[in-house]
Amino acid sequence: MRLKEGSFLWYLYLDKVHCLLSVRSVKALEEYFHILDVHGKNTLNDVLFYHFLHHVTDLKKAQIYLVFDMLDWNAVGEIGFEQFYMLVCMLLAHQDHLEGQFMYRHSRPVFDLLDLNGDGRISAENFAKYRFLFNIHKQELKDLFHDFGLTGDNLLNYQEFKMCTIIYANKLQRRQKTEEKEKGDRKRRSLYSKRKCHIK
Amino acid sequence: MPLSEVCEGFNAEGRSISKTRRWYSPGSRSLDEGDKASHKPEELDENALVELELHRGSSMEINLGEKDTASQIQAEKSSSMSSLNIAKHTPHQAYWAEQQSRLPLPLMELMENEALEIFTKALRSYQSGIGRDHFLTKELQRYIEGLKKRRSKRLYVN
Repeated sequence: MRLKEGSFLWYLYLDKVHCLLSVRSVKALEEYFHILDVHGKNTLNDVLFYHFLHHVTDLKKAQIYLVFDMLDWNAVGEIGFEQFYMLVCMLLAHQDHLEGQFMYRHSRPVFDLLDLNGDGRISAENFAKYRFLFNIHKQELKDLFHDFGLTGDNLLNYQEFKMCTIIYANKLQRRQKTEEKEKGDRKRRSLYSKRKCHIK
Repeated sequence: MPLSEVCEGFNAEGRSISKTRRWYSPGSRSLDEGDKASHKPEELDENALVELELHRGSSMEINLGEKDTASQIQAEKSSSMSSLNIAKHTPHQAYWAEQQSRLPLPLMELMENEALEIFTKALRSYQSGIGRDHFLTKELQRYIEGLKKRRSKRLYVN
């Protein structure tokens, strides 16, 4: 999932420690939401939401509707600024490779979002639907449920989920460092081979 | 006295060149990098400088009140001239207070342009989904026209 380069959201960023927007950025975001609020109800309906997300990200239609259903926690068919803000923070966390940190810092709201039926438990099936938002691989998710689903029912309560976020944040950091290192090595190798060709 | 000596962070036209005001620069990643560093000290420096200059102007007037009338008038003239010169170059405090709570124009332009692109596509969905005559479709259409008018006004002014 990527933000479109040059879009308004692309210029925002989260604080790396607390994973929050600055006050100025929130003010700008509020103004942006106000512009998008065509019908003057301080909300975005599903059509406007779809076109907004389709314009600023590379998410597919099915993913966008999944996100809308997740955010429309009152099932009114519209989302307000609070949910919009949450969405933007998740998008930026993904963009800035802070998914693990974000889930750890905001474990309660993230848990409430993923707890789709409100029973205080997240099922593996539901979490899997939304793993694209948090950059979790399929196997990583399986391992998390296996290691932290202490009740053995393939469901996570909040405490288990909180522990997950701690471990996952570390795992993700290590994975990202490895990926960056590999990227750097690949670049160096290609530069070296180019130089060799020039010398010949 | 050149503006740059009076007010750090402003050019001759009274526009801020401070880091804290850089919201949008094409090609760069970060928005408002001033938030990364401490924001308040820079602001205080600007406000402190403005206050200093305004206070300097008024204290000059107070001190000169003790001289005789003719020289008083002359002195007042020269102090008011220097105050005028300072006032010409020093942005008014109220102006900066207002600027603090308003979004810079390039950012608004970016947001509105993006919104227009989103709404143009949304309008097609509205027309195909609920019909051209539905009040929501007409509302969206009017909104788009309003945004376009605002944009062309801005371009015309620039």
